[in-house]
Amino acid sequence: MQLCKTSAFAVLTVVTLCLSTTVDSDIDNVSDEEDASRYLSGLSPVLLPAVDPLSSSHTLSAVVAQDLEINQTCRNLATIFHDRYIAYADCLVKSARPVGVCLNCFEGYALLSEIYANISNDKDGPGNCRDSLLRSDRLMLIYLLYGNLQNIWRNSACEHCVNTEQQAVKNQTLYFMNERNQSISCFDQYKQENHSDLCVKCKSKYESLNVLYGGMEKNGSLCIDIEDAMNVTRRLWSKNYNCIAPREGMIPVIAVSCFMLFLPIIFYLSSYLHSEQKKLKLIHPKRAKSNNSLMNIQDKFS
Amino acid sequence: THQCKYVISWSIGITKPTYRNTKCSQCDWIFALYTFLDYDNSENQLFLEEERRMSYLGFRCLEISRWVVCGLIGFLTGLIACFIDIMVEQLTGLKYYVVKENIEKFTAGGGLSISLILWAVLNSAFVMVGAIIVAFFEPIAGGSGIPQIKCYLNGVKIPRVVRLKTLLVKVAGVICSVAGGLVVGKEGPMIHSGAVVAAGVSQGRSTSLKRDFKIFEYFRRDTEKRDFVSAGAAAGVSAAFGAPVGGVLFSLEEAASYWNQMLTWRIFFASMISTFTLNFFLSVYNKNPGELSNPGLINFGSFDRNVRSFVFVLTCECGGPPGGLLGALFNALNYWLTIFRIRYIHRPCLQVMEAMLVAAVTATVSFIMIYFSNACQPLDVVQGEDYPLQLYCDDGEYNSMATTFFNRPEKSVQNLFHNPPGSYHPLTLGVFTITYFFLACWTYGLAVSAGVFIPSLLIGAAWGRLIGIMLPVFPLQIWADPGKYALIGAAAQLGGIVRMTLSLTVILIEATGNVTYGLPLMLVLMTAKIVGDYFEEGLYDIHIKLQSVPFVHSEAPPTSHWLTAREVMSSPVTSFNRVERVGTIVDLLSNTSTNHNGFPVVVSNPAKLCGLILRSQLIVLLKHKVFVELARSKLTRRKLQLKDFRDAYPRFPPIQSIHVSQDERECMMDLTEFMNPTPYTVPQETSLPRVYKLFRALGLRHLVVVDDSNRVVGLVTRKDLARYHLGKHGLEELQLAQT
Repeated sequence: MQLCKTSAFAVLTVVTLCLSTTVDSDIDNVSDEEDASRYLSGLSPVLLPAVDPLSSSHTLSAVVAQDLEINQTCRNLATIFHDRYIAYADCLVKSARPVGVCLNCFEGYALLSEIYANISNDKDGPGNCRDSLLRSDRLMLIYLLYGNLQNIWRNSACEHCVNTEQQAVKNQTLYFMNERNQSISCFDQYKQENHSDLCVKCKSKYESLNVLYGGMEKNGSLCIDIEDAMNVTRRLWSKNYNCIAPREGMIPVIAVSCFMLFLPIIFYLSSYLHSEQKKLKLIHPKRAKSNNSLMNIQDKFS
Repeated sequence: THQCKYVISWSIGITKPTYRNTKCSQCDWIFALYTFLDYDNSENQLFLEEERRMSYLGFRCLEISRWVVCGLIGFLTGLIACFIDIMVEQLTGLKYYVVKENIEKFTAGGGLSISLILWAVLNSAFVMVGAIIVAFFEPIAGGSGIPQIKCYLNGVKIPRVVRLKTLLVKVAGVICSVAGGLVVGKEGPMIHSGAVVAAGVSQGRSTSLKRDFKIFEYFRRDTEKRDFVSAGAAAGVSAAFGAPVGGVLFSLEEAASYWNQMLTWRIFFASMISTFTLNFFLSVYNKNPGELSNPGLINFGSFDRNVRSFVFVLTCECGGPPGGLLGALFNALNYWLTIFRIRYIHRPCLQVMEAMLVAAVTATVSFIMIYFSNACQPLDVVQGEDYPLQLYCDDGEYNSMATTFFNRPEKSVQNLFHNPPGSYHPLTLGVFTITYFFLACWTYGLAVSAGVFIPSLLIGAAWGRLIGIMLPVFPLQIWADPGKYALIGAAAQLGGIVRMTLSLTVILIEATGNVTYGLPLMLVLMTAKIVGDYFEEGLYDIHIKLQSVPFVHSEAPPTSHWLTAREVMSSPVTSFNRVERVGTIVDLLSNTSTNHNGFPVVVSNPAKLCGLILRSQLIVLLKHKVFVELARSKLTRRKLQLKDFRDAYPRFPPIQSIHVSQDERECMMDLTEFMNPTPYTVPQETSLPRVYKLFRALGLRHLVVVDDSNRVVGLVTRKDLARYHLGKHGLEELQLAQT
């Protein structure tokens, strides 16, 4: 099912891309400078870097290609993309374990997707940055790179924890994290002592956390951060502190099972002993014993 | 000849055979209340007249209506499959939910024995409903129905096998037994359901509901009906496995005894319609109309095309022998169990009790296995299980044994094929294989409607996967992933039990949707069959034998050429004169000790054969009082037509229900118009294999044996042929017996 949905989405994406390429518009009277400044004004938090990463390459081909293909606006956009990409990837790697990719890096992702959207929407501009940056070669590196990060974001299900429009963590997520921290601090408080003591003391906190998690699971508001936090807590609880419920009432279970398994034996024995069998009569079919006895009814009658 | 065996002939009103206690416990018991179907067309004068009247256009319409009927068969079969699937999903979902909630409630407190009882009671309750309707209302709807359909298509008239009531009981029974957690599948019964649909639709009326739509009247004959029933069986397979080609081949190889080329194309049409209908309606049910991803009741999921290495193809052949051995063991155990059931558990109430006990024990065994299992798997939020049960696993994990039981068996098979390596603990798989094997063996043959396909696949997939996990002990870089070995194991086990060859291969290829696996699957089925046949027959053949059906196999038993028609035939023969006294006919027909169905018609002085007339025809004639004297007195009287015979078909009234007054007994009846004027005859010296071939190729019911001056000497029927079979002591003859 999941696979189907994903593939359906992929198809949809391709279709949209194709459509957007075919649509041409004639409103591109804006000059390069205006264009660039329009973009730059939209990107307030990041300052323009001193060194342009594309122009800093020293190979011959790059030097030749530079003037042919990439105009200044696009180069600026690419620079911004570069910086933000690095920032976001950096954040991701740093929050890999324990997982914090949603809560720590959602701002980085928002910025990255913003600049990517800008690039991919720039099809009417003088340089047509979308075409020159995203699809002028076979590799389509920027597209690929962004796609990978987008996949990571999607797989982590971060939209469930972060409100993307308001650029803020959802209240429910904060509440959960708070609860979870309380459990952990409770564990920390008692972990020096006897573990069974910890199990009793922190039980209520842990169980309410479990209930909360269960509720969130049902209404589908889990992201990887929450899942991982809960997994770690559960592992601590069951494996490290060994607070799992003991097997109780094994004897009644065994007794009932034995009784159940014993029933068929009684059944088969009693039906074996008490069942009556009907007698059966052999029929001697009419057969020709020898040629002499061959006589049919017609012969008899006649 | 070795005379330790008995053919028990039909005696009306008894549905289950009981046997005389005999020292010869090794005997293959055969049971028969069966009469036979008339697959040979009676070319009497009425028939010729009708053919003359029929225009060219009429024949064209007939051909088109055959296609329409096949389309309808496919459509209705697909709908039934869809209905069964949805009902089973709803009921099992409800049951799993209740049981799971209950177990979760009692896990910490320690009242799990209550959950166990709840589970057992729920299972027994479902199965009780299923068993009661089968045992008390329609015993023929029990089991998978494949042996019964096979016999029907062979020409044996199994009472009530293709009636509407049977269909209803079958469908309800399957839903109950699958929802009741028995180790059964819903695929086998689909074949029977399809056959009943075909037999019903093609007649254009329902005798049970007393509705006649006045359509398809031409098809009210055994021959036509047989062809449609073949189509129905194919449509059933097609809906069950999403395998239209496999369905046609199943019908050709396993079910039908008679076949022609035109039929293949029409049956293929029925199959296609059936799988498409199921697919479409399931997609509507799953709220994705148009996303046709459920071609069958069972879906193996998609395997990657990369079989990886030639070594895989070679190693999987090794899956055959264990499959064959386990299959033979399964069949042997089931054979003994069935004999026990026939002898001692023949009362309906006992059968219901037995089914309930099996259901309760199945629940108990499942529960014990879950309870003592330590196989825990971490929860996966994205592709989660439907009913994960934690029990004594650590938090954040679930009991992987419980998922196996809390899933519909089809889903479990799919999981065994596709779950990534490491999902199953070898011990879990081992224990599961053993318990499931015995439970499945115990369950097949209960008085519930249920198939054996899915349990076989599940057992095989489990041990196949186990082998797949074990193989990397030899650290070579050649092993494929364990899911593929699960597929091979499933094929081997199923092949070892049912012993189908071509059709099963194609069904499996179609179910996996991957031609690349054709060769491995074929090899494994071949070896499984060879190994299995060495020990024991296939499950369906065993059950046909145990029901004592006079089944005419495709070949005469070997070493039987020395037997001639003279030894095989019944003699003396009861014949009628061409113009016969009504009293004589009534007396002969009412004679319960003979109960003949076909009578040679002779002209006296000298008594030469001139035709053959059937009991059913005589009864229609008596009912309409077609007497010579009456015809003379009432000239305006309507002439009897072929339609009158068709209207009485297939439930001809018994002779007792026809009243013939004392005066009428003295009347005469002229059979000339109604008898088949050119019955097949053989001379007395014809060998048994020759006679056999005639029966098998032409679908004969009666074969008259004549001497050189065309006088009737004897009559060969199917019962005479089915008596002979090759046993351990050479050619053996079975004796007829009656309860």
